[in-house]
Amino acid sequence: MAMSLDLLYGISENAINLAKKLGADQAQAVVSTHVKNTARFANSQINQNLSTRNNEINIKVVVEKRLGSVKTSLSDQKSVQTAVRYAIRKARATPPNEMFKSLPMPKEYVPIPRTYDRKTAECSPSLGAEIVNNAIETAHTSNIVKAVAGSYMTGSTSFAVVNSRGVHADMRISIARLHVTVISAKNGSEGFGSSESWARKMDEINVSAVAQNAAETSAKSVQPERLEPGEYETVLSPEAVAVSMEHLGASFKGTWYQDGISFVKNNIGKKVLDEKFNLKDDARDMSTLYVSAVDGEGVPKRPVSMVHAGVVDENSICYNSYTAGRVGLQSTGHAQAPFFVRFEEEEEDIINMIVSPGDSSTDEMIKETQHGVYVSRFHYVRSVNRPNVTVTGLTRDGTFLIKNGELARPVHNLRFTDSFLDAYKNIKMIGREQVRTQRATVPSLKIAKLRFSGIAE
Amino acid sequence: MDDDFARLALAAARKLGASYADARLIETRTESILVRNGIPEDISTEDLSGIGVRVLAKGAWGFAGTTVLNRKEVTTTAEKAFKIALASARTKHRGVELAPTVAKTAKYKTPTHKDPMRIPLEQKLETLRQAERAVAAESNEFIKNSTASFKTEKERKLFMSTEGAKIEQLIIWCGGGISATAAYGNNTQTRSYPGSFGGNFNTAGYEFFENLRLVDHAAEIAREAISLLSAEKCPSTVTTLILDGDQMTEQIHESCGHATELDRALGTEVDNAGTSFLTPEKLGQFQYGCDGVNISSDATVPGGLGTFGFDDEGVPAQNVPLVKNGLFVNYQSSRETAALLNLPGGSSGNMRANSPLAIPLVRMTNINLLPGDWKHEELVEDTQEGLLMSTSKSWSIDDKRLNFQFGTEAAWRIKNGSREEILKLPTYTGSTPDFWGNCDGISHDDWQMQATRCGKGVPNQAIYVAHGTGSARFQTVRAGII
Repeated sequence: MAMSLDLLYGISENAINLAKKLGADQAQAVVSTHVKNTARFANSQINQNLSTRNNEINIKVVVEKRLGSVKTSLSDQKSVQTAVRYAIRKARATPPNEMFKSLPMPKEYVPIPRTYDRKTAECSPSLGAEIVNNAIETAHTSNIVKAVAGSYMTGSTSFAVVNSRGVHADMRISIARLHVTVISAKNGSEGFGSSESWARKMDEINVSAVAQNAAETSAKSVQPERLEPGEYETVLSPEAVAVSMEHLGASFKGTWYQDGISFVKNNIGKKVLDEKFNLKDDARDMSTLYVSAVDGEGVPKRPVSMVHAGVVDENSICYNSYTAGRVGLQSTGHAQAPFFVRFEEEEEDIINMIVSPGDSSTDEMIKETQHGVYVSRFHYVRSVNRPNVTVTGLTRDGTFLIKNGELARPVHNLRFTDSFLDAYKNIKMIGREQVRTQRATVPSLKIAKLRFSGIAE
Repeated sequence: MDDDFARLALAAARKLGASYADARLIETRTESILVRNGIPEDISTEDLSGIGVRVLAKGAWGFAGTTVLNRKEVTTTAEKAFKIALASARTKHRGVELAPTVAKTAKYKTPTHKDPMRIPLEQKLETLRQAERAVAAESNEFIKNSTASFKTEKERKLFMSTEGAKIEQLIIWCGGGISATAAYGNNTQTRSYPGSFGGNFNTAGYEFFENLRLVDHAAEIAREAISLLSAEKCPSTVTTLILDGDQMTEQIHESCGHATELDRALGTEVDNAGTSFLTPEKLGQFQYGCDGVNISSDATVPGGLGTFGFDDEGVPAQNVPLVKNGLFVNYQSSRETAALLNLPGGSSGNMRANSPLAIPLVRMTNINLLPGDWKHEELVEDTQEGLLMSTSKSWSIDDKRLNFQFGTEAAWRIKNGSREEILKLPTYTGSTPDFWGNCDGISHDDWQMQATRCGKGVPNQAIYVAHGTGSARFQTVRAGII
């Protein structure tokens, strides 16, 4: 079971008091507790099934502008004291960081209710297995289904942030996710389909619908044919759009902006994307997954309009207290919170992106396309040239040729190499329904062209 | 390490009726230092202690892990792992069997001369500060971002199993690197040494970091980053391609390393990373590359980040050929996957987890391209027209590990056996067996162990692995995709 918020605050406050006693000018403690249950299945049976409990403290101390930080698991009662003493020792051995201004001052915030569901946070292994079983059986409706795979995850994260300037903030959230991949086989050819759903309450996930969607796409994907690479009108599913937003959204990090690798830097006030396109990051919007009143420094989360009618400006950038302080601004509340592990630990968190909906359905987008491609999912998308958001990646789990307003036939996975700035300059239609993914809530999009540079047969 | 908690966990699992259980008690300390633009930006330490208990009951797996180390919590964790195994068994239609291994009592320690954790922080910072300032000194006008970084990790692991294994290991690694980012208008170019994404790391003492001699390479990478600002774009062409060791690391990792993981070939990663074109019926039959291509999975090679005494199932470190004279001859495997294919050698010792809270998966150790007959300069001198690409920048490959596209920080045009002008935004693409089938030269004089980071699994586990390689030459490669 996770630790209570009172306990998290108690540990944080003790750490701050000790840091001050040992000579820290400022100190911040983030104490978090994570419970994670994951049942993974493949070949239509559970093959990995785990439950973990992780309690940790991340302490940052400032001694005459010298910074030291230590993150440690709370394995026993001595852990906190050891971490604080070590952080102080490190700070004293470090030269001053003249770019560091201060830890944030406290600001009032309004807590967000109903982010935590006890049933989701404490889901038992047997209930998890029952849900997986339901997904597998539902997906096996057709005799061409060869295997069902995926994962079912439930759990919770709670954290408390306390700093020596008076910040006192907390957040508690539960998360559930079901992902199903179905493999169908016919005449020696395989077809793949996948579907997923994220929620803060496990009961909000429609297990049968997720399994059926994956099964239907996989059945339609068997016996794919070759489609020559080239530029095609393209309809992107919400899942594919969400992946593109992770790449586009990174350009709005204060770190990237200040390092000169963001396209925003040289396009202030310019219309760089289609005027129908609006993108914001708003952690208080309940349609996003990781809703949160505060960031990992206890700063209230502020909504940031990143793209408005295709235009970016100076207010499009998301900051934590360090990157904001470097340029004399206030944090927008985008310091990383300990929801999940990231590779880039010091960069800002942009995980509540929302693309404004339009007025079309995905079916209407397909109907309006004479010759194009429908993409169910992107795979392994990686940056090729950050400053203009050029990426490469592949399609996966259902790629179809659209002909005369219909999904004409499945095609082999395609590699695309293109700039999302170019791809989203001419958006023809925007979906009216938004889908919640891990880091973005987005509709489907129909774009005038995407450059497919290769084929994966 | 005190083995009380591990014994307690195994006793609890055994009492409940587990047919097999193992426990990994782990203490890890990681230290990171980053100096950027003259500022010591990241001076951080991360400590992680915990226990992970894996239980086999009714033919199915259960795993539980915790960072809370007391007798009650450890017992509860083992009991939870057992309950999870029973839950897993509800969907089972084929029970887990394990290939045999000898349960050992053993100790292993990374050979080191200087413990990186004992080197004073001030000394490490001064080394980094000098290197970073040497990068920045090349140009105030164009170098907009200069970095120098160091990272080290010390991991103590105790593995015990109900089969009687008791293995203690102390793994130490360290390393670092420098980078220069030049910018002018919309054009931003980066060069790194001795590799991108933080440099290079070895299982070794602080002497490895000292031998990188970051300061000596600072001016060169800064000048190259500036040159790239005015360089021509890599042409779109089909040509002869030479890849240096750093880029070969990525090429081996994505197109051979992941492709030869047996769990992928058996379909258990299909929902996430994908499968593999190297399906079981191809074992021992499929020509993966040309005759000169020999690739091994070697957890015994000195310095590799995948070098250890035993994997996380207690299987001894091994050197297993994956591709021999171009033929695909073996997989990277675990005890469970090796049993499924009835592999004669049993597990190849590739089960690794990135923490006590993570379940071990089939992971790369050190996937090495064995040295060839050439010297690096001979590969260039022997090429009439082509491209030399250096330092990994971007990588993407399909879910069967066939169609790939890579980008590097820089390229040079080769003309009449000579390295000519520098070119920006280099990319190349291909299909794995075609590409390796067109390999006609591998060097030996620049062969070294190069580290890279690898993600796999749900939840995702990031782990460090390494690849021993020199440079290599490939014919008829499509380059210049953007």
